[in-house]
Amino acid sequence: MKRIEVKLALPVVAPLLDVIKELADNLRKNLAAPIALQDLDTDFHAAWVDELLVTQNDEVQTLLSLFDDEFFSEGLVAFDEKNAEVIVRACAAIRLRLRERYLKALGDETLESGDLDLNALDEHLRKAFMCYLFLATIQELIIQHLDESILGS
Amino acid sequence: MASSQTLPQAETRTELALTGAWRVVVLNDPVSLMSYVVLVFKKVFGFDEQTARRKMLEVHEQGRSIVWSGLREKAEAYVFTLQQWHLTAVLEPDETH
Repeated sequence: MKRIEVKLALPVVAPLLDVIKELADNLRKNLAAPIALQDLDTDFHAAWVDELLVTQNDEVQTLLSLFDDEFFSEGLVAFDEKNAEVIVRACAAIRLRLRERYLKALGDETLESGDLDLNALDEHLRKAFMCYLFLATIQELIIQHLDESILGS
Repeated sequence: MASSQTLPQAETRTELALTGAWRVVVLNDPVSLMSYVVLVFKKVFGFDEQTARRKMLEVHEQGRSIVWSGLREKAEAYVFTLQQWHLTAVLEPDETH
């Protein structure tokens, strides 16, 4: 089984977990990307939301489970064919929620480019933006290093 | 009498909605990584790398891209799958068919 292990800097990443957990709680009842389809039947819409929330919450819990005892003792997290796709999606969900909750004021161009002076931000915003970058890094790692057979087709 | 005239028209509209062609349109968001959107397009629609990248760039630069066209039921299924990947998509009638 192809697997990648990543050693993370505990002092940098551990403080971000509070932000991720808070957003994970928020995502229990809210879709990261609300359904934009206007003419969907009401019952159908409700069924979609229910099903999407179940999947979304499973994904987010899998992401949180990366940060276990091994992470807190060694700083290690691992990605493989069992968790790669789910974690890529969980990162997408949390990043969307980060924008909604904390990062909108930075403007979409800044969010797209990631070009920002972290020192110019207050601590709360800096932490949220670092979390946003951290989750993007996880996504890039998985997409670049795990091939299509692992990410499925 | 009015209701008996209205019902067939509604049925006709419903039938057209079900049988006509619909476009699946993916909308831009400032959050999703380009590489992530390419991955989703390859997985969901079976695009090759080049097509997936071209569609992703359409979304990025034009704010939207038509990624599939066909029957309503299947189009809705694609929108649902895109939602599972946290991408925003809508349907619009495909008037070229």
